[in-house]
Amino acid sequence: MEAYLVGSAPMHVDSVDDIGAILEQLRQSRQAMSGTGGDGAPRVATMNFLVFVDDPAHREWVLERASAVAEKHPSRLIVLDSTDRTKGVDVSLSTRQNGGATVINERVDIGVKTLGHAAIISLTQELSVPDIPTVLWWSGARFLISRTFSGLAHSAATVLVDSSGKVRGEETIRELGEFLVRFPNVALQDLAFMRLAPWQEMIAQFFDDPALREDLFSIDALDIESGSDAEALYLAGWLGSRLSWEPSGRDTFRDSRGKTVLFTKVDKGDQRRVLSIVLRAGTSTYRAALSDADENVVALSVEGTRAKAVRYVPLQNIQNTSLIERAILENGRDQIFETSLRTVRDLLG
Amino acid sequence: MATNVGTIERQLAPNPLRAGIESDRITDPCNIVFFGASGDLTKRMLIPAMYNLRLGDILPTNFGIIGFSRSDKSHYDFRDEMKEAIDQFSRSGPARDPLWSDFADRLHYIAGSFEDLDAFKELRRQLDENDEKLGTAGNRLYYLATPPTVFGKIVQQLAAAGLGPKDQGKGWSRVIVEKPFGTDLNSARALQTEVGKVFEEKQIYRIDHYLGKEPVQDIMALRFANVMFEPIWNRLYIDNVQITAAETVGVEGRGGYYDHAGALRDMIQNHVMNLLALVAMEPPISPNADHIRDEKFKALSAMRIIPEDQVPKLAARGQYGAGLVEGKPVVGYREEPSVDPNSTTETFACVKFVIDNWRWADVPFYLRSGKRLAHKHSEIAVTFRNIPHRIFGETGDQIESNTLVMKIQPDEGVSLRFNAKIPGPKMHIRGVTMDFNYGSGFGVVSAPAYERLIGDAMRGDATLFTRWDAVQQAWEAVMPILNRWSEARTVDFPNYLAGSQGPQSADALLVAEGREWRRI
Repeated sequence: MEAYLVGSAPMHVDSVDDIGAILEQLRQSRQAMSGTGGDGAPRVATMNFLVFVDDPAHREWVLERASAVAEKHPSRLIVLDSTDRTKGVDVSLSTRQNGGATVINERVDIGVKTLGHAAIISLTQELSVPDIPTVLWWSGARFLISRTFSGLAHSAATVLVDSSGKVRGEETIRELGEFLVRFPNVALQDLAFMRLAPWQEMIAQFFDDPALREDLFSIDALDIESGSDAEALYLAGWLGSRLSWEPSGRDTFRDSRGKTVLFTKVDKGDQRRVLSIVLRAGTSTYRAALSDADENVVALSVEGTRAKAVRYVPLQNIQNTSLIERAILENGRDQIFETSLRTVRDLLG
Repeated sequence: MATNVGTIERQLAPNPLRAGIESDRITDPCNIVFFGASGDLTKRMLIPAMYNLRLGDILPTNFGIIGFSRSDKSHYDFRDEMKEAIDQFSRSGPARDPLWSDFADRLHYIAGSFEDLDAFKELRRQLDENDEKLGTAGNRLYYLATPPTVFGKIVQQLAAAGLGPKDQGKGWSRVIVEKPFGTDLNSARALQTEVGKVFEEKQIYRIDHYLGKEPVQDIMALRFANVMFEPIWNRLYIDNVQITAAETVGVEGRGGYYDHAGALRDMIQNHVMNLLALVAMEPPISPNADHIRDEKFKALSAMRIIPEDQVPKLAARGQYGAGLVEGKPVVGYREEPSVDPNSTTETFACVKFVIDNWRWADVPFYLRSGKRLAHKHSEIAVTFRNIPHRIFGETGDQIESNTLVMKIQPDEGVSLRFNAKIPGPKMHIRGVTMDFNYGSGFGVVSAPAYERLIGDAMRGDATLFTRWDAVQQAWEAVMPILNRWSEARTVDFPNYLAGSQGPQSADALLVAEGREWRRI
């Protein structure tokens, strides 16, 4: 059954200083909403969902997706808005009918541009619902250099970032590598890596056929066309870590037999999109490329000695909202991601 | 020489790129043959399920689909028909290129009667051709989407055409059999003998689409992934268990079939018994298919068989008359198309079973299922015993028994009913509900049951399919009731209104024991 909105109750508090007033507004709103939500309107909160945003150009994109996720996964959504758009504190509650249950979603938007990191961290902790996991989606430009990020990450079970996009560069990935060392008990998820799952699946498919598996160990070149760096780097890092390649330069690996694997990254197409991956292994070339007929379909082909006819496969789960959901539902650290990240960090030097 | 050894080792080693990839993908190439390819089930459920498995990139790289039925048509006609079916019934919307063309190229059709051995030889030729052209490696999954009366014949013909597993030079063969598996204990045994001549038990997948539903699978998670329920999951704490599978629909054009089946055969013997087994079974030692099915069988085999003379006391039946369902007038069962106007077939059945083992001794399991009831509603309700001594509550306060409800459909979830103090200076007590809803809790939509089950059969995972010993046990449990009801046919049907809670005789069965049915 699809969820539908049955009521909402927005309220505004001018000052962030009085936490008690904000919590009281939440309590009063919940009480008011229980009338529209039916008998006793149960509150279902599966997480505290902290969203930090500091880029005005990116703000709507982030908040739209955060709302979509929060509504589907009932939570206390706390938006830490470091742009000029939010002043004071906005508190809102909405009730939804979802599969026969009445669910109340709570949302607090806080303008944090003028607040120091200690105030933001303290405010967030007081507003969070105790005893449920906290997921931090950090859309800020930098990570570890920000004391707000470090403070919030300490109390999070999961930190979600997106290292993709033109404004982000290699420094971002280096910082994420450092994050693994400094926060060993926090699950790190990077949307840029998660976007690659269907591509990883497709590359793996080539070598499910035992007759072709030998070629996996004689790859001498890897070409990736992508609209942003992170995806291409992560794909190379993932392949390298799976096949025991050692980074030997910014664009080369050394495979387990000591032979060089050349890595070429071509900046092409839209941000956050991979266009094609080509693996060359001796006289065979394995190619996965977006189909000309449908951008949600990938054409898989093998040319050369082990030639195979083109096969079309659907490109799965590229919606950012569903990636965020998956990150939330993941339970614990992703070892494959972490080893891929370390390989990329070593590749970048 | 050393190079050759290295090559072979690498070919045999697992694909290192698969490590850590969360994939439901089926890696074995295979052909799937749908017998009854012109039927409703194939069009509405099976082909859309296959197409969605393809869209989900779950089907193996090399696969073929062959439809087999009487209607005379070409491969191209069949592809056109299946495209229409997908356009109409697929949850992912109309078929689109280039994926549809790739899918369609793998669809073939054989026209023939199930009596016609030549048609089966033609099927063999097509399978061999698919192995060669589509790389399906000799692996074959046969799906019997036909009336049960021809199951035996199809299997015989497969063997006669050299398509049985014993004739196979390479690859595996499996057969999916739709319910009902037999119409009574004897016919089920006869069918098992026929099918067993060709396929071994581990190659037979008896499908019960109820088991593919996510909340049914969650029964095991609830019981065995939590520590708090298992210590009280026994006769010391549980008063009774009610399992309900209620429908608002009538016979939906299946009057001819249903009038020979009835609610006991159609629902209780399979779906509802499977739910009972999941609730009553002991913890399996692993999620392995046979470990789970061993425990389900043990639970079913501990069910006390009802003596025929006790049937009137322990079971009740009903048939709906005209009434209102969801505000709309509907005809009575006897007025439904293809139904005998004097039919005595039950459209509602309920029965009390007990399980004779240490865990469940004397705990009644009340099962019921019916058509044209007030709501579509399937659930398992576990009601706990009353508190041993009452210290709270003013006169008139009702101290309810705690109830754990596993909701199968709609509104899949789990709820727990317990007592709480009403705020105020007095110690007044009232029952309250704690609810978990899958839609809200996880925000994910599960794949339809047929997609899950066909995928499992292609993978060779039989966990969600019913093993013969359990089927036989379930028939043994319902046979005395079927026998008694077939002998005593002078019943005053119809005895409940469409859109109601069912017949009064069902209520009387529980009232006699000081209990009542949960409202549908």
